[in-house]
Amino acid sequence: MEKPSYNTDIVRGFVNWSIIWGLVAVLVGVIVSLQMVNPDLNFPPYLTFGRLRPIHTNAGIYGWGVGFIFATFFYMAQRLCKTPIWSPKLAKFQLWFFNATIIASAVTLLMGFTTSKEYHEMEWPIDLMIIVLWVMFAINIIMTIIKRREEQMYISLWYMMAAIIGIAVLFVVNSAAVPAALFKSYSAYAGTNDANVHWWFGHNAVAMALTAPPLAMFYYFLPKSTGVPIYSHRLSIISFWSLIFMYLWTGAHHLLWTPVPDWVQTLAMAFSVMLIAPSWGSVINGYLSMNGQWHQMRDNYLVKFLILGLTFYGLQTLQGPMQSIRTFSAFIHYTDWVPGHIHMGTMGWVSMIGFACIYYLVPRIYGNEIFSIPLANLHFWLILIGQLIWSISMWVAGVLQAGMWNAMNPDGSLTYTFMETMVEMYPYWWARAIGGLIYLIGVLIFIYNLYMTVQKGKKSSSTLTEAEGRA
Amino acid sequence: MDLASVFYLGVTFGLFAILVGIVLRTYSKKRKETGEAPKYKMLDDD
Amino acid sequence: MWEKKPVLLMVLATCTILAGTIITMILPFTWVNTKADRIEGVVPYTPIEQEGRDIYIREGCNNCHSQTVRPLVAEVLRYGEYSKSGEFVYDRPFLWGSKRTGPDLARVGGKYPDSWHYKHMDSPRSMVPRTNMPDYKWLRDNPLDAEAIQHKMDVLDFPYNNPQIAALQTKNEMDAIVAYMQKLGNDINWRKATQVEIIGELVNPYAGVDHITMEPWESVYRNNCAACHGEHLEGEIGPELVGDNYEEEELFKIIYNGIPDGGMPSFSALGSDKVWQLTNFIKYYNQGEGESH
Ligand code: HEC
Ligand code: HEC
Ligand code: HEM
Ligand code: HEM
Repeated sequence: MEKPSYNTDIVRGFVNWSIIWGLVAVLVGVIVSLQMVNPDLNFPPYLTFGRLRPIHTNAGIYGWGVGFIFATFFYMAQRLCKTPIWSPKLAKFQLWFFNATIIASAVTLLMGFTTSKEYHEMEWPIDLMIIVLWVMFAINIIMTIIKRREEQMYISLWYMMAAIIGIAVLFVVNSAAVPAALFKSYSAYAGTNDANVHWWFGHNAVAMALTAPPLAMFYYFLPKSTGVPIYSHRLSIISFWSLIFMYLWTGAHHLLWTPVPDWVQTLAMAFSVMLIAPSWGSVINGYLSMNGQWHQMRDNYLVKFLILGLTFYGLQTLQGPMQSIRTFSAFIHYTDWVPGHIHMGTMGWVSMIGFACIYYLVPRIYGNEIFSIPLANLHFWLILIGQLIWSISMWVAGVLQAGMWNAMNPDGSLTYTFMETMVEMYPYWWARAIGGLIYLIGVLIFIYNLYMTVQKGKKSSSTLTEAEGRA
Repeated sequence: MDLASVFYLGVTFGLFAILVGIVLRTYSKKRKETGEAPKYKMLDDD
Repeated sequence: MWEKKPVLLMVLATCTILAGTIITMILPFTWVNTKADRIEGVVPYTPIEQEGRDIYIREGCNNCHSQTVRPLVAEVLRYGEYSKSGEFVYDRPFLWGSKRTGPDLARVGGKYPDSWHYKHMDSPRSMVPRTNMPDYKWLRDNPLDAEAIQHKMDVLDFPYNNPQIAALQTKNEMDAIVAYMQKLGNDINWRKATQVEIIGELVNPYAGVDHITMEPWESVYRNNCAACHGEHLEGEIGPELVGDNYEEEELFKIIYNGIPDGGMPSFSALGSDKVWQLTNFIKYYNQGEGESH
């Protein structure tokens, strides 16, 4: 078969921009973590904790996460389908429109235009932009898959398609609102219904944006990096169907003990525990793919990122179900434990996979070998240590806080006032800020390394390069 | 057992049967070759 | 089959996704916010309260404050009666939150007098020195836009009258947020209903206490009372406490149950032991001061 000329331009564009938004997310993350220890760092009206925190979360998930989803999906789809992207023009417009949407989100959020719904804070005009953006992307990827020249579809394509559909359904349903002004709307659902719809969205945004796409990437970039195939394609298929089936039942594990009907909560709890199986199906598949290849953990920095990332995914999908159990939720819900969980997922799993993909892509889309592998290793250790400090300090803090909130005297009164419990958090919040700073340094080294690769890197050997295909 | 419980049990077993069906289909001897083919193909030079 | 047919695969994936969606997300609509859920006394927000709510959303207070009390022993003690579905039927969007960097606010309405909220919002640290809640004094500089608020009330289809709208002309955003705080959780009459009746005789376990023993109790006072009654009991939001002539028992009851209509919170959650310490501390503060001077 003659080699198709893949479009690398678009991959480059999305890689560059996702890194920029990732840097913004981490920077703002450090800022809000410092605001939590020193309220003098709030500068009203725009730069207060209440307005900056959503910028952090959205820049992290949509700017960085979805940014590199776009990059890698365009890269993987072309190669797995052995055909160039369906419409390079549309893709190019999408890149432009993506950045416009992210900037519009950041500006409106700073101005206080928000729906308050977590990970869906953007007001309705921006929601419309996001929907247009996603439709463009969906058409391009799906058309590429339809006109593919490789009959059977590799598992990554399955996850990609599920994510594309899943996010579309979730986002549209949760967007339903009645506009009251250009940047103000009221949810179509009220009270308990709104809560239930929202966390159906919220948890499955985790499934369709922070689980399925990184899994698609993992299944593609691990074999590509090690040179040996995954352990079992059929196991990945079983995991796929059970994963996308079970995830949708679990939203109410964010709402345990609230006025949401009990049976909805119980179903969420049961399905969350069952989710361990498909999640670990992928984890085990990944580990077994390393059979006889474990030495690559030492020799190949890409593998290090991918396998550590997968390990965090494994831990995340054990911790998550634990948090979904009523008694455990009663204890840790609302505490700092939960941000610990979140950041193992986002800084560990999602970002580690993202870094690995980008290290793999850059030599292939720029035609230069990575500038410095020692720097890449340094990056690895800094983000690992930073993330561990971040999460572990929050787990300890969360347990301490929960214990104090629930402590009672023998006469049935509370042992601690709220402030007595809150001041105990300061040392841990400081530790978290330091962990975040270390992570930030890691990210800066990553960016420096990539910059030098593009500017000064050695031309890579011809087998590696696909850059001749670029426009 | 009331009607609701019978219904729940029915649905649960129905779902379980679908899962078993998918597993059996995926792991049938007939499909061993084709089922695992994509993981080799994706490694082709691209 | 679907391994080779992307459209079929997507259709099947969609059906798979819809199963859980229909059962856990769509089906509950037939139970929630129905007549059975309704609670008498729960009424829509007034124009100024609704505007306060919109400002709460705009400022992202929900990033630090939750608004649901779960039916757990310690939680009900700390915040009040647990939340019911029917209390939220006018909430668009819901504001339950997911993180308690600050305390839950579902039952904050009526807990403090307005003057407490104004002072706290101006500068939380002036009342609670080690809090990390930002200052919101600047909200006072923003007058309300009566016309826009009226339009929002129409969109929500909430009842209002002209005097309510006219009254907005002289109000600012701070007034709105305080009005919203005072509405929260107050539609059901839970404070009176859950007030603990102290039965039997009250006996002061610390009768005849000396000043040295009382010294550590001052921190209990400082943590719980000083924001309203002043560092030295001189009074501010609450009255001066020096020179009152309450009996020990009366004093105990005031602190234990609070004065719900007067803006004095109940401190039953501290437990009777701490309340007795406070009773003695206040009653004999003067004497103590006298001795040490
Ligand atoms: C950075 C987190 C943070 C943000 C943002 C925040 N608060 Fe707070 N808030 C706290 C903390 C911590 C406390 C407890 C200490 C205190 O009273 O200041 C508190 C206490 C309160 C209390 C008193 C509750 C009680 O029962 O004593 C009210 C009322 C309140 N906040 C309202 C608000 C409003 C309204 C906003 C938004 C305009 C807001 N807060 C934003 C952290 C925050
Ligand atoms: C939110 C502010 C606030 C806090 C906190 C507060 N109080 Fe009060 N307190 C008041 C107000 C307002 C009154 C007046 C109520 C009335 O008379 O209607 C009052 C009245 C009293 C009275 C009766 C005084 C009199 O002259 O009638 C006593 C005693 C008292 N408080 C003790 C305490 C103690 C002890 C604490 C701490 C555990 C405390 N208060 C905390 C606001 C507060
Ligand atoms: C240096 C790196 C980072 C730092 C210092 C940081 C810091 C923070 C802080 C302080 C919070 C608020 C926690 C609270 O309210 O208690 C937060 C929340 C959050 N962050 Fe980060 N963060 C970092 C990286 C990331 C990345 C890379 C992502 C996403 C890809 C991310 C996603 C989130 C999310 C989703 C939340 C919301 C948590 C919740 O709802 O409870 N963070 N972060
Ligand atoms: C089997 C898989 C998982 C289960 C059952 C699960 C369960 C949970 C539960 C119960 C909570 C709520 C905690 C609370 O507020 O009390 C939660 C929060 C969260 N989880 Fe997971 N989790 C899983 C995997 C993941 C993964 C892979 C990620 C990827 C990053 C992730 C990201 C998050 C985020 C961002 C939140 C915060 C939501 C909020 O704002 O409150 N989770 N998870």
